[in-house]
Amino acid sequence: MNMDPFSFIVAILVYVAVIVFVAGMTFKIIVWAKSPRMKINLGIYPKPRNGFVRFFRIIRDSFIFPQTLEVDRWMWVFAMLFHAALFVALFGHFRLVREFTFVSNVIGQDNLNTLGAVGGGTMGIIMLIALGYYLFRRFASPYKDISVPEDFILIILLAGIVGLGDHMRFFGAVHTEDYREYFQSIMRFKPAFNEALAQSQTRWVLSWHVLFVNLFVIYFPFSKLVHLIGTFFANKVRSE
Amino acid sequence: MLDIEKKELMIQTLKNKVNKQLLYYLDVCARCAICRDACHQYKVTRDPKYIPAYRAELIRRLYKKYFSVLGKLFPKIYEAKDIDDEFLLSELYQVTYACTGCRRCMYYCPFSIDTLHILSVAKAILLSAGMENQILRELSDAAIMKGENIELFKDIFVTMLKESEPEIREKIKDKNAQIPIDKKNADVLYVALSGMHSILPAAIIFDKAKINWTLSMFEAANYGYFLGDSQKAKTIADRIVSEAKRLNVKEVIITECGHAYRVMNFFYEAWTGQKPPFKVSALIDSISRYIKDGLIEVNKNPSSEIVTYHDPCQVGRNGGFFEEPRYVINAITDNFRELTPNRTKSWCCGGGGGLVAIPEMDEFRIKTGEIKANQIKETEARIIISPCENCRLQLDSLNEKYGMDIKVKSMMEFVAENLKV
Amino acid sequence: MTEEIKADMELDLKGLLCPLPMVRVSQNITKVPVGGIIKAVATDPGSLADIPSWAKSTGNEVLKTEKVEKDLIFYIKRLK
Ligand code: HEM
Ligand code: SF4
Ligand code: SF4
Repeated sequence: MNMDPFSFIVAILVYVAVIVFVAGMTFKIIVWAKSPRMKINLGIYPKPRNGFVRFFRIIRDSFIFPQTLEVDRWMWVFAMLFHAALFVALFGHFRLVREFTFVSNVIGQDNLNTLGAVGGGTMGIIMLIALGYYLFRRFASPYKDISVPEDFILIILLAGIVGLGDHMRFFGAVHTEDYREYFQSIMRFKPAFNEALAQSQTRWVLSWHVLFVNLFVIYFPFSKLVHLIGTFFANKVRSE
Repeated sequence: MLDIEKKELMIQTLKNKVNKQLLYYLDVCARCAICRDACHQYKVTRDPKYIPAYRAELIRRLYKKYFSVLGKLFPKIYEAKDIDDEFLLSELYQVTYACTGCRRCMYYCPFSIDTLHILSVAKAILLSAGMENQILRELSDAAIMKGENIELFKDIFVTMLKESEPEIREKIKDKNAQIPIDKKNADVLYVALSGMHSILPAAIIFDKAKINWTLSMFEAANYGYFLGDSQKAKTIADRIVSEAKRLNVKEVIITECGHAYRVMNFFYEAWTGQKPPFKVSALIDSISRYIKDGLIEVNKNPSSEIVTYHDPCQVGRNGGFFEEPRYVINAITDNFRELTPNRTKSWCCGGGGGLVAIPEMDEFRIKTGEIKANQIKETEARIIISPCENCRLQLDSLNEKYGMDIKVKSMMEFVAENLKV
Repeated sequence: MTEEIKADMELDLKGLLCPLPMVRVSQNITKVPVGGIIKAVATDPGSLADIPSWAKSTGNEVLKTEKVEKDLIFYIKRLK
C-alpha cells in the first residue's frame, strides 16, 4: 500500500459516509412515512384539474419554482445556477466510475477531456460564486437574523469541496485516469494511490476534497438538505 | 417558571401535533428567506421576527430539542430550546397571533412551506401553557355559551327580524317576503353574521330568487378557529351542524365570511373525522349561480363609479373562489378595475386571523394594511367589494386612516342594491 | 321604570359591528371596580346575544337590556 495514513483514513471514511447517508436518508423517509397524514387537503387554489396536471405542477414547482422569481429574483437566479452546476458537476464525477465511452466514441478522447476541463471548471466557478452569494447574504440583515449555525456549516463544507475540486481542476498535473484508478480502488474495497498520485502533491488536495465530501455526505441526512427529497412531498401538499 | 406538569403537557401537545406536513416543513426549510417579502407584516415593519421562516424557526427550536438527535446532542449549536423558555414563548405568542393566516408566504416559498400550519401547532402549545389570546378566548366562550342558551336572546332576535321584514317587502315588491327562522325541511340554511347588515341583503336576494330558505340562529364566525382551540372551534361549528340536521336542510350557505366557509368546508372534517352531512356553499358562489340561472336579475351600469375587488385570502387563495365574484361584479358594472396583484397572489388586507377583534393589535393591523391601501388608491376606485367580514372591517379602518375615500361593500349588499325588481 | 340604574361608565358602541361591541365591553370591564356597572349603547343586533353570552361565560352579569328605538342599551355589572 502506498497511501499515507491521512489519505487512508479519508478513504476508509468514504464507506462510513455512504453507510451513514443511506441509513440516515432511509431513517428520515421512514419517519416521514410513518407519521400520520392530515385528513384534509390544504393546498393553494386554483388547484390542478386532474392527476396529470398535479404531477406536472409538482415537478414544475420543485425544479423551477417560478413564483419565487417574482419576489426574490437574485436568490432565484443564484439558486438555479448553483443547483444546475451542482447537478452537472455531480454527473461529471461518473467519469470516475466508468469513462464516458459513449461520448469519447463520438467526439474523441481529447475533446472529451477538454469538455470536462472547461465544463467542470465553469461549473466549479459558478458554484463558488453562488456559494459566495449565499454566504454573503447570511451576514446581512435580515438574513442573519434567521440563520442558524447549520446554514454556515453547510456553506463552508461546500465551499471546501468546490474550492479543492477547482484546485485539482486548474492546477493539477494529475489526469482523469489516475483519479479513476483511485476511485475504483475504493470501489473495490482496496483503497490505493497509483504511481502518479503517490508521486504528486496533488494527493493532499484530493484527500482533503474527499474528506470534505465525506463530512458533507454524513451531515446531509440530518440537515435541511433533506429538501432533496422533501421538496417533492411538500410541493405535493401545495397542489392537493 | 412554569411547573413540571404543564411542561409535560406542552411537550405532549407538540408530540400529538406531529404529522407528515409538519415534518416536511420543519425539516426542509432552507432559511433562504425568500418568504420575507411575501408577508405584508414583514414588508411593512421590517422586523425580522415577522419573517415567516423566523416564526417557524421558533417551533423548529422546540422540535430540535425533543425530536432531533443532533438537537439533543448539541443544543447550543442547534439553538434547541426548552418548551418553557419564557423568551421563546413570548415571541411565539406575538408572531403567532399576529399572523393573519393569509398563506401568501406558502405561495412564494420554493418548498411551499405552510407557515400557518406550523403556527397552528404554536397555538396548540400556547393553549396548553394557558397563554392563549384572551379576547379570542372570551369570544369563543361567548359563542359556545350562546349555543347553550338560545332562550337568552331568541325572542328579541326574532322580534328584530320581524321589524325588518317590511323593508324587504318594499324593496322587492313582494307582500309575502319574510325572514324565516327555524323552518323545518327548508332547502337552504343561511348562516349569517350577527349583524343585520349580513342578514337583510341576503334575505332580499333569497326571497327574490324564491329560495326555500331559513336563517340560522347562530353566526358563521368561529373565533375558536382563530384561537387555535380545535375543541372549542368544533363546539362552535357544531351549533350550526346540529341546527342544520334538526331542520333537515339540504344545503348550508355560509355568508361572506372567509374563515367561516373554510371551517365548515375543510376544518370541520379535520376536527371530527367526518364531513358535515349536507352541502356547504359560500354565499358568493350561490349568488353567482342565481344570476347565471336567471333566478335573479341585476341592473347593468347603474353608476359610473369605478369598482374594485379585494380577494380575501380565505376566499381566494385558500378557498378557491376567484371567478365567481368577478362574474357578479361584471354583471353589474362595466367599470370594474382589478387590484394588482390579484387572485392567488392577492396581498392580505392585514385584518385576517381574527386581528380585527383584538384591540391590542389595532395599531399593528392598520400599519400593516398599508400595502393594501396603496394598491386600492392606485385603482382610483370609489367602491371596493370584498366578500369577507374581517376584510371589510379592516378596509373600513384603512379607509379612515389612509383617506382612501372609498365605500366598502359586501357582494350581497352590492347585488341587493342593484337588483332588478 | 321603577329604579334608575346608576352606571359607573358609559360606552358608546353605536355603529360598531359584531364582535366589536363585546370586545369593547370586555376591554373596559376591568376599568370599573368590582360591583361597578357599565352602561353600553350598541346598535348591532348581534350584541343582543353576544353581550349576555359573554357576561355569562366570564361570570359577570347583565342587569338589564333595553331597546330604545334603534339603540340597544345594556347594563353590565362587574362581579369579579
Ligand atoms: C429539486 C428541488 C430543489 C429545490 C427547490 C432546492 C432549493 C434550494 C434553495 C432555495 C436553497 C437556498 C439555500 C440558502 O439560501 O442557503 C438550496 C440550497 C442548497 N441545495 Fe437545494 N433545492 C433542490 C434540490 C437540491 C438537490 C437535488 C440537492 C443535492 C444534492 C440540493 C443541495 C443543496 C445544497 C448543497 C444547497 C446549499 C446549501 C445551503 O446554502 O444551505 N438541493 N436549495
Ligand atoms: S421561503 Fe420557504 S424555505 Fe425559504 S426561508 Fe421561507 S419558509 Fe423557509
Ligand atoms: S400566513 Fe400571511 S401573515 Fe402569516 S406569516 Fe405567512 S404571509 Fe405572513
